Amino acid sequence: MKLKPLFSKAANAAAIRAASSGTPLLDVDRLSVRFGGLVAVSELDLDVAQGSIVSLIGPNGAGKTTAFNCISGIYAPSAGSVRFEGRRLERSFAASTFWGAMGVGLLTGLLFAAAAVDVDRLWLAVIKRGMITGEPFTIAGAQARLRGYFRAELAIDQMAGKWRVVSADGLDVLAIKRNLADANSLRDDLQAAVTARRTGPGTVPDTSDLADVAQKIPGQSSVLPVKEDVLDRLAAGKARIRRRGWLGLFAGWILGTAGTIAVWQRGRRSAHVVAQAGISRTFQNIRLFSTMTVLENVLVGLDRSIPGGVFGMLFRSPTNRRGEKAAREQAIEALKFVGLAAEGNRIAGQLPYGDQRRLEIARAVATGARLILLDEPAAGMNPSETGELAGLVERIRDRGVTVLLIEHHMNVVMRVSDRVAVLDHGVKIAEGTPAEVKRNEKVIEAYLGPDA
Amino acid sequence: MHSSASSTPPASASRRLQLASLLRERWDLVALGLLAIAPLVIPALGGALGGQVTTLFIYCILALGLNVMVGYTGLVHLGIAAFFGIGAYSMAILTVPMYPFQMGFAAAAVISTLLAAGVGLALGAPTLRLRGDYLAIVTLGFGEVVKVTLRNLEQITGGMKGLNPVPPPGAGVTLGGVDLGMAFAIDPRYFYYLSLIVLAGVVVAMRRLENSRLGRAWVAVREDELAASAMGISATRVKLSAFAMSSAVAGLAGCLYAASLSTTADPNAYDFNRSIMMLCAVILGGLGSIPGTLLGVAILVGFDTVLAPWADSWIQQMNINPTGSSLLSFSGWRLALFGLALVLVMRFRPAGLVPSRRLAAELHEGQT
Repeated sequence: MKLKPLFSKAANAAAIRAASSGTPLLDVDRLSVRFGGLVAVSELDLDVAQGSIVSLIGPNGAGKTTAFNCISGIYAPSAGSVRFEGRRLERSFAASTFWGAMGVGLLTGLLFAAAAVDVDRLWLAVIKRGMITGEPFTIAGAQARLRGYFRAELAIDQMAGKWRVVSADGLDVLAIKRNLADANSLRDDLQAAVTARRTGPGTVPDTSDLADVAQKIPGQSSVLPVKEDVLDRLAAGKARIRRRGWLGLFAGWILGTAGTIAVWQRGRRSAHVVAQAGISRTFQNIRLFSTMTVLENVLVGLDRSIPGGVFGMLFRSPTNRRGEKAAREQAIEALKFVGLAAEGNRIAGQLPYGDQRRLEIARAVATGARLILLDEPAAGMNPSETGELAGLVERIRDRGVTVLLIEHHMNVVMRVSDRVAVLDHGVKIAEGTPAEVKRNEKVIEAYLGPDA
Repeated sequence: MHSSASSTPPASASRRLQLASLLRERWDLVALGLLAIAPLVIPALGGALGGQVTTLFIYCILALGLNVMVGYTGLVHLGIAAFFGIGAYSMAILTVPMYPFQMGFAAAAVISTLLAAGVGLALGAPTLRLRGDYLAIVTLGFGEVVKVTLRNLEQITGGMKGLNPVPPPGAGVTLGGVDLGMAFAIDPRYFYYLSLIVLAGVVVAMRRLENSRLGRAWVAVREDELAASAMGISATRVKLSAFAMSSAVAGLAGCLYAASLSTTADPNAYDFNRSIMMLCAVILGGLGSIPGTLLGVAILVGFDTVLAPWADSWIQQMNINPTGSSLLSFSGWRLALFGLALVLVMRFRPAGLVPSRRLAAELHEGQT
């Protein structure tokens, strides 16, 4: 009947260390939860020792479930802290968080930059241009053309059987030639003129450049009038686009990184982080996966014990298969533990109410949690069922799992608890052994009213 | 064995029972076998019909991809055609002779599938914290953005002309004296078999995922996100994986689509209509059910691409409609029949034609 412990040796050692050094397994310190003006839980202090059963009782609306939701990470506390095995239940800022944020930032930046530099024209200049003139595609050539795009170098383009001298982005057509050789030589001349303007001292527009070009090719009527402002613009290059590109890269990077970190920050203490740290729970209103089978419900609890990524699952890798098989065995054992082994293939939603409660407990136990929060596990049960349930809670404790319990059935609470804390209107009014709490006047007053 | 134990039914009834149970248990192998033999028996599959059935298979793959999100994980996705388009266009960009990449079919398919998955992740990461209707609107918007982007990036995607010619698989490869590229280009049965094999592979993959850790996590998140995260499952991560898987499968379908048409067609082929058609097919067949999804596509898309043209040409041949009135042409009634079918299914089989095991159980519970 005994299950193999799911938790690692290191975590186990941490738990033992915590127990021996006197720090409680769960340490709730001045926990407050406010919803707007309403104070649901106020400055709750609660210590749960390793291997004990602690009950949280109180009249309806006392804030018990709110405290549970806070411990299990569903609500964020307004103030105070929850420590488990001596540490806060938060995701730590790991190297992977940093690099993940950087990666997302870089991708966002590249997307922004691509939009800013007109990726469509860039594609034409870098990828298509080489194909048009028929030269073999090389990485070096592509890089040269990429630089050329931002410097607005001139290129050759083919259109309707004629060769055109165009700007790299294809927006300016400077000349049209019948054959490639002419076009090439003209391109070189025009390029020289543009380069002279780019690098020349003072970069004063020199009209003689254009005149030279015109003289070199006399009688060529197909030379388009290359206006000075066109040459000026080409010489200036795509300075504006370049600036916009860098700006886009930077802005996108900031936005992506900041956004990723903000989202990470918000999900720091979410329910799954707490569950992965080793706290599992059941719910007051049963929350099973009602269309899944009983066995599958428990297998969801064992999710993290199965190794292998998507490809492992797709190709049924040996590791994945072994993991699935082991998980199945553990799930069946967990079902045996609560007495549902025969119902494994039934749909969870079809189980009777009491069995659904026990299935929820099996699912929580299967996660290998070291602390289990049970929220009114005996609700709606008859006396014989409550007796069985109390036995089950004790057996959970006997497995070395600590239990924090909310319950209204006093016979269960008084039978199983090592300690009992009483909450009324969000304030802890008493704590002690069951016998002490039973005699406490404040508790009697809270339950029965001041006149009793 | 089961039938012999009962009070000796007539031989024909027992045989019928056996056949029924065979169909229920091994519908996949039966269907695969029939479809594999079909081109050898039906000569029409060597002609235009073959191409139409190939398209049907491709839409089946697309719908199976959508089913991951809508069926298993319960996230409404109205932009699946965008990922279909991304797959098709990246396939084209990587293979057309106009660009320097000119990869082989398999390599291009792998890269396009991964690219579609990556885009899915990039879209999912910031949006999956939205629920229900809001996510539906985001996916709808994304679908339109992709369509318009494909149209406007004229230098890259060829604008409204699309990219062509996408070379067939195995272009330039000679196998046993047959030039595979030519064979694919001439005989539609090659593509028929290729897409049938890919479809079978996707079905197997989906089944394996369904019965694995990830598949259970998808359904758990659909059933109760809070309970799932209290079990240590990161709902965001699980939803993201559903988004990526869905996009990847849609991208793969897009690759096959572009290769089989040898063009990407124009961006309007990847618009909202296609997404909705796929969503309807999944819902009609049964959310989260593989046979249901396949049947849904076979009925809806088959009606559109196979039955409607056939019926139209029949009407023309019989000279029933000499004046060319649209009221008498079959395809004029297409959408009306389509709507009627959906209404009838929702009335009489609300969980779909072939509901998934889980949904069927739930309904059964409701009746008892």
